[in-house]
Amino acid sequence: MISDYLESLVGALTFDRSLSRRVRQEVEDHLREAVAADPVGDGIEAERRAIANFGDPHVIAGQFAVVSFAQQTRRVGVAIILVVAGVFIAMKARVAWYALMQCAISQDIRTVSGIVGLIDRYAFWLSVIIGIGGWAYISGLRVPAAFYTVFRKQLRRSFLLCTTAAGALVVSVISDGVLTALRLPGTELSAEFLIPIFSMAIEIACAGVLVFQIRTIMQRATSAAALLKT
Amino acid sequence: MLKGHLDLIVLAALSARPAHGYAVIEEIRRKSGQAFDLAEGTIYPALHRLEQAGLLDSHWVSAPSGRRRRVYALTRRGERALAERRAVWQQFSDAIGGLLAGTPPSGRSA
Repeated sequence: MISDYLESLVGALTFDRSLSRRVRQEVEDHLREAVAADPVGDGIEAERRAIANFGDPHVIAGQFAVVSFAQQTRRVGVAIILVVAGVFIAMKARVAWYALMQCAISQDIRTVSGIVGLIDRYAFWLSVIIGIGGWAYISGLRVPAAFYTVFRKQLRRSFLLCTTAAGALVVSVISDGVLTALRLPGTELSAEFLIPIFSMAIEIACAGVLVFQIRTIMQRATSAAALLKT
Repeated sequence: MLKGHLDLIVLAALSARPAHGYAVIEEIRRKSGQAFDLAEGTIYPALHRLEQAGLLDSHWVSAPSGRRRRVYALTRRGERALAERRAVWQQFSDAIGGLLAGTPPSGRSA
C-alpha cells in the first residue's frame, strides 16, 4: 500500500528527478515510522491510516511543484548573470586578440560589419539590462505554499524577463558569429584564428546553457499546470 | 489560518533541535497540545521551501531502522527569521487580545 502511494506521489514529480528521489526517501521514512508508531501495530490498517494522515498525493505533489518551479526560476536568474558575464569576457577576449594580431576588416565588408556590430551591441546591452532586472526581480520573490494568483503573475513576469534577456543574448551571439565569420574567409586557417573560434564556441555554449535552463522552466511549468488541473 | 502561519510553526518546531519531518510533526502536535492536526504531507513542501529560502539546512542520516532520513536544522538566518516572525505574531496577538478584552460581555443590555 505504501509502495503504491509512493509511486503515485513520485510519479507526479518526474519533471524534477532529484526532487522525486529525495521525496521518495523522505516520505517512505515518514510513512514507515508512522506505521511503526501506530498503536494498532504493523498492518494494512496502520498503513491505510498513515497514508490518509499524509494527504492526497496530487495535492502534495502540487505543493512540491511550486518549490521546484521557484528553484528553477532562481537558477535561471543566476544563470542569466553568469552567461552574460561569460559572453562579455569571450567577446572582449576576441576583440583584444584581433587588436593584438592587427586583424582589420576589409573595406568591402565594412558597411555590413558596421550594421551587424550595431545590432550586436544593442542586443547585448539589452540582455544585460533586462538580465540584471530579471535577476533582481526573481531574487525578491517569496515562494508561497501554493500557486496563488499573485505568484503566478510574478512567475509569468520573471519568465518574460528571462526569455527577453535570453532572446537578446542569442541575437548578440549570432551577430558575433556573423562578425567572426566575416573576418575568417579569404584567410588561411591558422593558429591565430583558434582564439576567435574558441571564444565563439564559449559564447554559443553560454547561450545554449541559458536556453536549456529556460526550456527546463517551461517543462516544469507544463507539469505543474497538469498537476494543478488534476 | 493555519496555512498562513505554517512557516512560523515549522521554524518554531525546529527551534529546540534539528529534526526529521516526522519528528517535526510530532513536535508541532506536542507543543500545540494536539491543536494543530494538519495533513502531514504538507510539512515536507514547507521544509523544502524554507530550505530553499536559506532558513533551514538539511542533511541525510541513517535511521536506526537503516533507512535514510533527512534531518533539518535552523540556519542563523532561520533563527533571525523566527525571532522576527515571533515578534510580529506577539504584536498581533497583543492587539487582538486587547481588542477582545474590550468587548462587552454577552447578554449585557446597552
